[in-house]
Amino acid sequence: MQMKSQALTLPALTLRFCILIAFIVLATWGVHMIREALDLQIRPDNEQQVHKAIMLGAVAYISLLAIPFVPGAEIGIALLSGFGAAIAPLIYVCTIAAMMLAFMIGRFLPTAALERLLRDLRLRRAADLVARAAPLSKDDRIAMLLEGQSKRFLPLALRYRYVALAIALNTPGNSIIGGGGGIMILAGLSEIFSPMLTFVTIIIAVSPVPLAVFYFGLGL
Amino acid sequence: MTHILHIAAITFATFGTGAATLSVMNEDIPDLAIPEGNWATTGALDGMTFQVSGKDVDRGAELTDEIVFRDGTFQSTDCEQYCNFGWSDYQTKEVDGVIHFTATTICPDAPHTVVWYGTVSGGTASIDVTWTTRRWYWTNQMRIQGTGTALPSAAVTS
Repeated sequence: MQMKSQALTLPALTLRFCILIAFIVLATWGVHMIREALDLQIRPDNEQQVHKAIMLGAVAYISLLAIPFVPGAEIGIALLSGFGAAIAPLIYVCTIAAMMLAFMIGRFLPTAALERLLRDLRLRRAADLVARAAPLSKDDRIAMLLEGQSKRFLPLALRYRYVALAIALNTPGNSIIGGGGGIMILAGLSEIFSPMLTFVTIIIAVSPVPLAVFYFGLGL
Repeated sequence: MTHILHIAAITFATFGTGAATLSVMNEDIPDLAIPEGNWATTGALDGMTFQVSGKDVDRGAELTDEIVFRDGTFQSTDCEQYCNFGWSDYQTKEVDGVIHFTATTICPDAPHTVVWYGTVSGGTASIDVTWTTRRWYWTNQMRIQGTGTALPSAAVTS
């Protein structure tokens, strides 16, 4: 029975791997096509406008990335697509700022006020997430943060919670539990993360993509 | 009060680290390197104006300009459209009958630095330019090469 299961799993895994590779190739090709289509050249006559657009984009990126379930990462990808690897350091710094903003919101804003604020902003799913986390104990909030992980994994995750936080932030599909903003608000709400150690964790956790783009370019 | 201090500390750490990261990762692009020599403010090109045709070396775009020398100062009429550079001092040196000139113009309203280097022989000029914009998050540079012909005094537009 087990052998049959393995026989079924291997082709499925191979298929998924091939789909993933195809997706990466198509995405890379798409990014190059978008860059060429936009033909964004920074010249003396448009530099001021480009600068303003980048500043607006950076503010929007930080604000949206800090909100649970709101797709902010796309703005970062759009900026990277438009302006290339040179913008990667700014995206990296903005990502850290967004994550710390979400953490501070969770940590210092009273839960009821946060829930009300999100409802006023018509962010119903984000408000529901906060409402769901509010009555839970600190440990249960961590468990919620790691939703979908094996139960056996939880004690280990609590012990090495900063590593767990970094993994949660980098796990594909984490948007199901609120994305980066949602995870960081939950981390703040749990009150078991020290702000400074969280800060160091974030610096490391969000570095792979921007640093890879910065050092290897968009042709990865 | 403790919360406010915590928030202030985290904000300070975030912005401080951000600024440090950007200053380390933001690689500067040096301005045009000017050959060494006995550069002096001589006003040797005063009264001359050149109609220049150039090309953006990296992007291939064609550019036209008019560069003017007057009272020991220099101005590019094309650059004036984008920023009020005004008149900037220029320096010259003469090598084998060819006048070499250089000027650095700085935009007062935005972080643009334009460095000019050229040679003038007879009625023709050959120029190299870098237009460098240094923002706090990146540095962008446009390199231009061009040639120009001297305009008769009556044809000067500025």
